[in-house]
Amino acid sequence: MKKSARALAALLVAGLSLTAVTACSSSGSDSGSGAADGAPGAQALDQASGVTTVEFWHSMTGKNADVLNGLVSQFNAAHQGKIEVKAQFQGKYDELVTKYKAAVQQKGTPALVQVYDIGTRFMIDSQQTVPAQAFADKDGYSLDDLDANIRNYYSAGGKLVSMPFNSSMPLLYLNDDAFKEAGLDPAQAPKDLAGLGELAKKLTKKDADGKTVRYGFGAAIYGWFVEQLLAESGTMYCDNDNGRTSKAGKVVFDSDKGAEIVQWWADLVKGGYAANTGRNTDDAQAAFKAGTVAMHLESTGVLRGYKEAAKFEVGTAAFPKTSAADQGGPVIGGASLWISGPGHSDAEKRAAWEFEKFVTSPEQQAAWHTGTGYFPVNKKSLDDPKDKEWVAKYPQFQTAIDQLKATKPTPATAGCLLGVMPQARKGVETAIEQTIAGTKPAKQALADAAKEIQPAIESYNSSVG
Amino acid sequence: MPTAPHAAAPRGRTPSPRQRGRRWGEHGLAWAFLLPSLVVFALFIGYPLGRTLYLSAHANDLFGAPSKYVGLKHYTDLLSSADFADTLLTTALFTLLTVVPGVLGALVLVLLLENRIRGVRLLRSAFALPFAFSVASASVVFAVFYNPASGVLNGLLSQVGLGPIGWLTDSRYALVSVAATTVWMNLGYNVLVLSAGIGSIPTEIVEAARLDGASGLRLARSITVPMLGPNLFFLTVVSTVHSLQSFGQIHILTKGGPDSSTKTLVYSVYEKAFAYGSSDFGRASAQAVVLLLVVLACTAVQFGVLERKVHYA
Repeated sequence: MKKSARALAALLVAGLSLTAVTACSSSGSDSGSGAADGAPGAQALDQASGVTTVEFWHSMTGKNADVLNGLVSQFNAAHQGKIEVKAQFQGKYDELVTKYKAAVQQKGTPALVQVYDIGTRFMIDSQQTVPAQAFADKDGYSLDDLDANIRNYYSAGGKLVSMPFNSSMPLLYLNDDAFKEAGLDPAQAPKDLAGLGELAKKLTKKDADGKTVRYGFGAAIYGWFVEQLLAESGTMYCDNDNGRTSKAGKVVFDSDKGAEIVQWWADLVKGGYAANTGRNTDDAQAAFKAGTVAMHLESTGVLRGYKEAAKFEVGTAAFPKTSAADQGGPVIGGASLWISGPGHSDAEKRAAWEFEKFVTSPEQQAAWHTGTGYFPVNKKSLDDPKDKEWVAKYPQFQTAIDQLKATKPTPATAGCLLGVMPQARKGVETAIEQTIAGTKPAKQALADAAKEIQPAIESYNSSVG
Repeated sequence: MPTAPHAAAPRGRTPSPRQRGRRWGEHGLAWAFLLPSLVVFALFIGYPLGRTLYLSAHANDLFGAPSKYVGLKHYTDLLSSADFADTLLTTALFTLLTVVPGVLGALVLVLLLENRIRGVRLLRSAFALPFAFSVASASVVFAVFYNPASGVLNGLLSQVGLGPIGWLTDSRYALVSVAATTVWMNLGYNVLVLSAGIGSIPTEIVEAARLDGASGLRLARSITVPMLGPNLFFLTVVSTVHSLQSFGQIHILTKGGPDSSTKTLVYSVYEKAFAYGSSDFGRASAQAVVLLLVVLACTAVQFGVLERKVHYA
């Protein structure tokens, strides 16, 4: 009797550990197919009675969230009594996708959802959305105002699948004051990895006791930067032309170029010239804002926030190339807006489309550009007087525009289209950590990461047929 | 807190004939009283357990819903995975690094607090204070301490000409740093339980020992610690289970990194199920079942081995 009571107690205690997982994985069975039906016409909204509510999931925080909420309330004010967009922050990009998957199972997807660049393949495969192209075709709405590079990124089979919204590229951020203090000219920013490494050594400052008070370089251990550097060098990240000619079957980031990039990074950290703040981008951003690193890699999307927070002159320069010979450019990152199909009324879909058109209009994109640093997806925004005035006043915002214009659309700069891209990115991050810790050489670490991701790629590909 | 698996089982008695006659009625009544908790048990423990077993034997579609039966494949995959072996090792290390210092540290504190010094009540409350902190807020505070550039720890180190150490970003230190945070968080509860235990030691025993000339270490070794046996045992079991299930501090401080050096079993379950858009509930569930078995095994060993040495007053 006593024994079984104990066993029961132990089982009870242990059983608690399981509740967490199961409680969150709901039991939906039908994953919903037969999406991608046509887009409804304008009459869907005209015929709708009352206010059509559009639930909108996004991942914007801080300054960027403020600007986004501003756009939403402007839109709602203009469509009072007809459409109401309800913006809901759903955590970081990764978390949002996880929640979206759960929502698909529970048949409760939001009408409009912001998904990051590397979630594009998954969103296409999910068959839960109506392509933006379908609405544009229905209305005869021209998409030609969209920037060609950006449009290229979010197109599949020549059709625009989602509406680009917040497009960004990584930039090289500079602490201009640190440059001047070291007797360097911030206008002469490093152009490639070797140059960056050289300057990092000069910009690293130690105090009398030999303690480092400022590192020459510092960036989050973020796989995105490796993706960018590979694109700069024209190297593929996954096979089948980055998954653009046909579905990618494996990652190929364990190339010599990949190893060179990771090794370069690890050497700077090991040499004491680069700060290692870990994977969390917030920590790396804090280090730059605090002035403890002189050069830093981040998205264009944080520029406005940096300008407001930093007590020094923030400079921007083109994202570095891996070597002077590189012909490529960075991948267009950021996120796009997807309209849900199954389970949503025609009026909802239509209202979501109206919102997409609104936020990508020249005027709103100019407000978005100047308010955040994301570059405008609408080419005409750059002609907007307010935008022109802003860029003239703060030339840092010009860097991203120049960089985008200089980038030719190629499979390398389009980036890898892979269903399990977030996991691949994580694998690269682990490889960087291993190389820094010295447990493996870069090439080996990347090869191991590639091997580890393989089963996930295969099971993903087999589950979408 | 999980319910205390306190072993206060009723002593066996030989029933008289009259009692035997009433037995059935009593049993029926007992079951009726137990029913509500049994329903809750079935709903919140039984069902999730069954569901986890079911999920662990299925592959997933794109959205994480179970798609096809794969039998024990997820389990055999785990057995042959070097990565999973590392995870188990990390889990074991983390448990050792949190339970041993957590329980022993609390014991030392409580014994020291037995000295009748001024302000002992204040100190006792102070040491119990970490219990009032949520995992999230404690982790955030420690993250600030551990910050490589502005953290107080590296500040102190640099005063004596050492460091800086990447407490959370260096794979050699990260696990210890997270464990230290956990020990601090658990300390409050442990101190509370042991203080209560000391309070319930009959004063005549202590006085008798004192009359015999015992004091200080001798008193602690021969009277206080043995009398605290049930409390220490309880703490060891509960801390072990707690530690095996730690998630919040790992998630906030390191997210399992760097280089998976703080990826415990629970964190690995989370990564498979929810992180990086993976939604691999099948493999996550298989790992969750392994976690269940590990917790079960630990608890069974503790009940089987440790409890024999516990003296119930």
